[in-house]
Amino acid sequence: MPKIKFKIVTPEKVVLEDEIDQITLPTKMGEITILPNHIPLVSSLKPGEILIKKEGREIPMVTSGGFAEFTANSLVILADTAERAEEIDEAEAEEARKRAEELLQRKGKATEEAIDYTALAAKLEKELARLKVARKYRRHRPPKPTIRLEE
Amino acid sequence: MPQATRDIKRRIKSVRNTRKVTKAMEMVAAAKMRKAVSNVLATRSYSRLAWELVRNLARRTDSQYHPLLEKRDQIKKIGMVLITSNRGLCGGFNNQIINRVAKYIRQQKEEVGIEADLVIMGKKGREAMFKQGHTVIAEFKKLDITNMIHEIRPLSNLIINDYLERKYDKVMIAYTDFVSTLVQKPRILELLPIESKVEDEYLGQAKIGDLKVEQPAETKLQSTELEYLFEPSPDEVLSELFPRLLEMQIYQAILESDASEHSSRMVAMRNASDAAADMIDDLTLMFNKARQALITAELADISGGRIAME
Repeated sequence: MPKIKFKIVTPEKVVLEDEIDQITLPTKMGEITILPNHIPLVSSLKPGEILIKKEGREIPMVTSGGFAEFTANSLVILADTAERAEEIDEAEAEEARKRAEELLQRKGKATEEAIDYTALAAKLEKELARLKVARKYRRHRPPKPTIRLEE
Repeated sequence: MPQATRDIKRRIKSVRNTRKVTKAMEMVAAAKMRKAVSNVLATRSYSRLAWELVRNLARRTDSQYHPLLEKRDQIKKIGMVLITSNRGLCGGFNNQIINRVAKYIRQQKEEVGIEADLVIMGKKGREAMFKQGHTVIAEFKKLDITNMIHEIRPLSNLIINDYLERKYDKVMIAYTDFVSTLVQKPRILELLPIESKVEDEYLGQAKIGDLKVEQPAETKLQSTELEYLFEPSPDEVLSELFPRLLEMQIYQAILESDASEHSSRMVAMRNASDAAADMIDDLTLMFNKARQALITAELADISGGRIAME
């Protein structure tokens, strides 16, 4: 079985470059899974989880949207942002989601410009995707030692 | 102190002050340059891949899917985006790109009779182009260092809309490619229509240190010349993708220019500081000689007087 040459880049850096067996992408229509020898494909992505499988291992990532191009067993993702699931700080993600939600509600009441509203909604969607992926893969990590105080 | 030495001393002082200024400017430019260079290097691989994707799409997709892909038979007018700096004192940075563009426009006019309109970023370009009597349709404020891609959105929207409205049949971008701190290359690239035939036209192709921007893999393309499958639909994907990736291309050109400007200014200021230091050395030598000559003359006078007395 041939492998897929995979590369995910954001405007800041190359996040991951690897040879992989399969990948699941969150497209505008829903999730799709790409296996080697797929026909050429161009797709726009929405915020969500990217799941890579390589030699039985799973590498979860999260993106906030972008484009994917697949040709001749080589997949390039041009992402707006992308993170490995284990790199997401859950507390920080939760914080960001709350901020976005709050802003969104305030905007909703005041009925401000529609542009701002959509931008905020998009931001919220991104943060939700991050949080979801972070939560989902939390159990794969060894738990952090915590000191619990008696109440 | 007699006239000769005093004059020299005064000159030394003024040159020393100038050196202080150029030294400070060098330092400022160096700090900005580091920022600009790290920006430009970070986005290079993204923008290169993005352009590759745009090219692949142009080659393999039916041009009816998107108006930006459409081939125009007759080119009547060119839109030219020129990226310069706001301030001078940066060596030949502005002159090089301005002369190149002016020459290009003149050539187009004389040889094929195609007029060109300019969209300018940076004060220096505007001043020069006005003086030469070219048509400037818009000027965008240039930031010292462009950080975010949305800062250039107005520019890219203007360009794309004008192209779609058929105001222009061709859009070029003139910027300065950042090769290294010492070498910058002015270039004029074709942005629109999106064509797939020219192979070497990537931005920031330069090599920097050990970071090599590899040449596009051509083998990848010949294996499958199939049309792409679009998800969700060609229309939806392309109308989102083309403006975004074109914007990225303009953004990258601006980043390249930023990095070039600041490195070019740093080098110019370093040269000025070095020249000032040399001048101070020369003048000090001259000053010492003049002082010595004065003393010798005085001594000769005194001993001459004594001999006369005896």
